[in-house]
Amino acid sequence: MNRTSRFRFGYLPVALIVYALLLVPVALVIITSLTTSSVPTIPTDGLSLQWYGELAGSSQILNALVVSTVVAVASAVVSGLIGTITAFGFVRSDFPYKQTVSTVLLLPLMISPVITGLAIVQYAGMIRLPGDYPVLILGHVVLTLPYVFLIIRARLVTFDETLEQASLIMGANWLETALNVTLPIISPSVFTGALIAFVVSFGEFTATQFLISPGTTTVPVIIYTELRTGLTPTISALATVLAVIMLVAAVIGEVSGGDA
Amino acid sequence: MIIEGIPVPKFVERRVSSRSLAAFGLGFLTVFYIVPILFLYWNSLNFGGGGLFSNYERAFSNIYLVTLGRSFYFGALTTVVTLALGYVLAYYIAFRSSREKFLLGLVVLPLWIAYVIRYLGIQLLLFPSSPLVQLLGTDFGILFSTKGVIVGLTTVFLPFAILPIYHALKSIDEDLIDASRILGATQLRTVRSVILPLSLSGVVAGGIIVFILATGSFLAPAMLGGPSDTMIANVIEQSYSQTFDLGLASSLAVIYTTILLVLLMVFNSYVNLGEVLGEL
Repeated sequence: MNRTSRFRFGYLPVALIVYALLLVPVALVIITSLTTSSVPTIPTDGLSLQWYGELAGSSQILNALVVSTVVAVASAVVSGLIGTITAFGFVRSDFPYKQTVSTVLLLPLMISPVITGLAIVQYAGMIRLPGDYPVLILGHVVLTLPYVFLIIRARLVTFDETLEQASLIMGANWLETALNVTLPIISPSVFTGALIAFVVSFGEFTATQFLISPGTTTVPVIIYTELRTGLTPTISALATVLAVIMLVAAVIGEVSGGDA
Repeated sequence: MIIEGIPVPKFVERRVSSRSLAAFGLGFLTVFYIVPILFLYWNSLNFGGGGLFSNYERAFSNIYLVTLGRSFYFGALTTVVTLALGYVLAYYIAFRSSREKFLLGLVVLPLWIAYVIRYLGIQLLLFPSSPLVQLLGTDFGILFSTKGVIVGLTTVFLPFAILPIYHALKSIDEDLIDASRILGATQLRTVRSVILPLSLSGVVAGGIIVFILATGSFLAPAMLGGPSDTMIANVIEQSYSQTFDLGLASSLAVIYTTILLVLLMVFNSYVNLGEVLGEL
């Protein structure tokens, strides 16, 4: 015990630095959105919601919020569906090079989203995919699919398959078994996976900048472009709105998923 | 609610297997991700005048090679910094703290917030009228410089280093640590000869993830770097949307993607990347 206590305080400075790096920037975004000043500083003479009022008055920003929500919900649904099916296939079957092939499924996480955006926007042009919502949602499905796949796969690995066998022995066919036994058991994980897809999609910028059209600009893109002309409390307010929506979705996902 | 009485036709029964479900997912990703990337390889070739590989001749010019080198250099630098900071914090959470869950939660929390917001926060921290800069009188030249990029990348990717290291530390058999201490090793000796070697898998895993993600970063150099801090992702984007040079953008993308795929194959032979990412 004596030996450990000598080192105990050595960790604290590092821990403080790391937590400061992780949390202070986000906290600053939220705090500076409440300033009364026209520059985004820490409010000293009272708080103000005027910058949020400015957001609500901008049709461009409201439109971006709608676009972001539509795209994130659509990506969550499609990714949730495809990701669940894929994870099922990978956990329940065996084929040569399965390990390597499942790493391929994770490539969108590892190769820079710039590549994903560039590749998909060019490809969409080639296959004549409409350049507004479809291409944006497609891009986000590709980017969010690995997350859903990983979450559902982790859940299925610990799934008790005797429950399904019982159902099949009792005379249900596989579709009935899937709907009555398997799906209800894994549905919390599917929900968690879909919500994570929602969060990732909602905050994605790098690939998105390639995929947007004038009518389908998302919130992160607005934040980035507005920043080019300098920091304002309005940007902080918009970023806060984005962060709050993402955090709420993430918390719902974590709580509902339980062990996921 | 029990759903019953759904007939499954024999031909469906025979066709739908787990393997076909895997094939469906893989097919989707192939059609909408792998094939588009293969088209980048195609687009990078020049079918007009000037030779088939003329885009590559431009891409391999000095300025882009320097940018590519810088990307991997920044990636490596970020990896070293995050691993050093991440190891100490993971060690602290795993062995020295009484509120593990809470501290770990604070590490995971920022992962739920968009990169663009987190970089914005760093700008707010370092811009001239921020309270920190006012207090210290200087931002130490961090904002819009190489230091800014490294600070940004470190901040954003720290959780990816902390979490695998934490998991590796937690899976060490505590008896081994006790044995080392009982046999008279000092704290430092125990860390060096027992804990560090046994947690190396987490260090390698975290390092690989941070390196890959940092190298491909677009936002950190764009939001926190100066004009001479651009990385490969930035020049690809610039040549696509500012100079409309599709051939150059594609060939740069091909060069980056190819290098990364080779690296991934090398990394994958050391650690199972799928498992590592699944742990996050």
